[in-house]
Amino acid sequence: MATQRPIRSMDPYAEQFWTYTQKKEFRLQQCSECNKFRWPPGPSCDNCLSDQFQWTPMKGRGKVLSWTTFHRAYFPEYPAPHTSIALELDEGPLFVSYPVDIDVKSLREGMVLSLRWTDGEDKFGAYNLPVFGPAT
Amino acid sequence: MTELFDRKRLGALKDTVAVVGVGETDYGADYRGAGGKAMAKGEARYDSYTLASRALKRALDDAGLKKDDIDGLCTGPTLSGERASELWGLNPRWSGSGDAAQCIIEAVMAINCGLATTVACVYGNAQRSMNTAYGGSRVTGGAITSYFYYAPWGLTSQGALYAMFFQRHKLLYGTTDEQLGAIAVAFRKHACMNPNAVMYGKPITIDDYMNAKFVAEPLRLFDYCLINDGGVAIIVRRADMARDLKQKPVYISGMGWAEENVDATQLRPRLKDFYHTAHHGVAAQVYPMAGVTPKDVDVFATYDSFSVHLLASLEGFGFCKEGEGGAWIQNGRIEIGGELPCNTSGGMLSESYMQSWNHQPELIRQLRGGLGERQVKGAEVGQYVHDVAGKCKSLIYTRGA
Repeated sequence: MATQRPIRSMDPYAEQFWTYTQKKEFRLQQCSECNKFRWPPGPSCDNCLSDQFQWTPMKGRGKVLSWTTFHRAYFPEYPAPHTSIALELDEGPLFVSYPVDIDVKSLREGMVLSLRWTDGEDKFGAYNLPVFGPAT
Repeated sequence: MTELFDRKRLGALKDTVAVVGVGETDYGADYRGAGGKAMAKGEARYDSYTLASRALKRALDDAGLKKDDIDGLCTGPTLSGERASELWGLNPRWSGSGDAAQCIIEAVMAINCGLATTVACVYGNAQRSMNTAYGGSRVTGGAITSYFYYAPWGLTSQGALYAMFFQRHKLLYGTTDEQLGAIAVAFRKHACMNPNAVMYGKPITIDDYMNAKFVAEPLRLFDYCLINDGGVAIIVRRADMARDLKQKPVYISGMGWAEENVDATQLRPRLKDFYHTAHHGVAAQVYPMAGVTPKDVDVFATYDSFSVHLLASLEGFGFCKEGEGGAWIQNGRIEIGGELPCNTSGGMLSESYMQSWNHQPELIRQLRGGLGERQVKGAEVGQYVHDVAGKCKSLIYTRGA
């Protein structure tokens, strides 16, 4: 049984994002007309309002912008302490995740981290969760 | 891009509407309960309407107006305008809703359009009694926001998002935890001059601040607002009808509004801009409309669900340079008696978490004068900055003759 996690925000576009994760593919929507990436998934481009898009694979690299360490447990699935990070992906979008295989004390602004996968499950089913660790 | 400040249209609204009455519930007494002991969370004794009703009655008494003088109603997000109208026996000509700044701006617009003359802006929230959650799996809401979008990764709560904001500020500018602590200590000092504050009689030192537990590091317990019950009402009226009432009118002299929502779920405006684009947009309206600059502001209040809001506002509105807020707020500068007294009632950190509503009565009282040791001497210009995750507004109030 996969690791139970707090429920995902689900809609038809988010569902496609998560379906790709089942094959460990980290893809974000990219506008077919102006090429702008968007996150979270949604029906139209915030730059040109086009509803034409493709799911473009990300390189899975990003620079650390910030982080926070929870000392209070808000979710039973995430006992304290645990840490969240905000990254700026090489392709441009910012992405929130959590760090793995790295001591929080060694996190630095601008540090490059790389994609890892871990498992997850909620009432919508099983998926893989993109997380980030030391650059590979 | 068009000029943000429309001198002919927005400028014409300066001082056209006045605040004539304010009312609040007994935050401290209600929090401590009848036996002088804090009531347990979840122990419902009343609802949000009870608190709103009490505040409305007090605001009308403060103004010396009767219920039937009200012809417009704005309600906070915890109330249904329809039910509130029914409860208070009102058939308004016009109604609106939103946070305090939004309601007051809407009321100024409605009054200037001739849709109303006297608008009651009313809020009530029994959030402690009802055990409202602001993080975790009980958070409710329909829209996609970063507040709960990242739950699968374990990220939740507005506090954690502001913790990331402050961490970024630390990384870029070298701001320290001790520097941030000056905010919680100052607001608590103010609450100790305010018998109606939840934290009246409970001063804290910078050591208390530093020794308190982290919630979402680098934010500590005292960086977080209270969770308590309360209600607030603000009566605004067309200026020419406001001059011979019980209280000296306080004029709404400046207004501004700008939102920074693009890529908000990604946290881009929060982490890459500290919401300063929105601050600059609002500043470009509110100051020229009121005919003042930040140097003229005698008393300041900012939305403070977290201490770090004040850093962002002071830098964004030009009280200090970007990145220098941590140093600027030291040595009593933001305390009563200092250069820019901020959140003089104790704010949401130490007076009452009324989600922007309790800041308005405090600014009005400061401009009316007579607050004793809490009084900012000679206060003539008061500014409120509302910045909730980049949805920014500001109001400038000035004392009437």
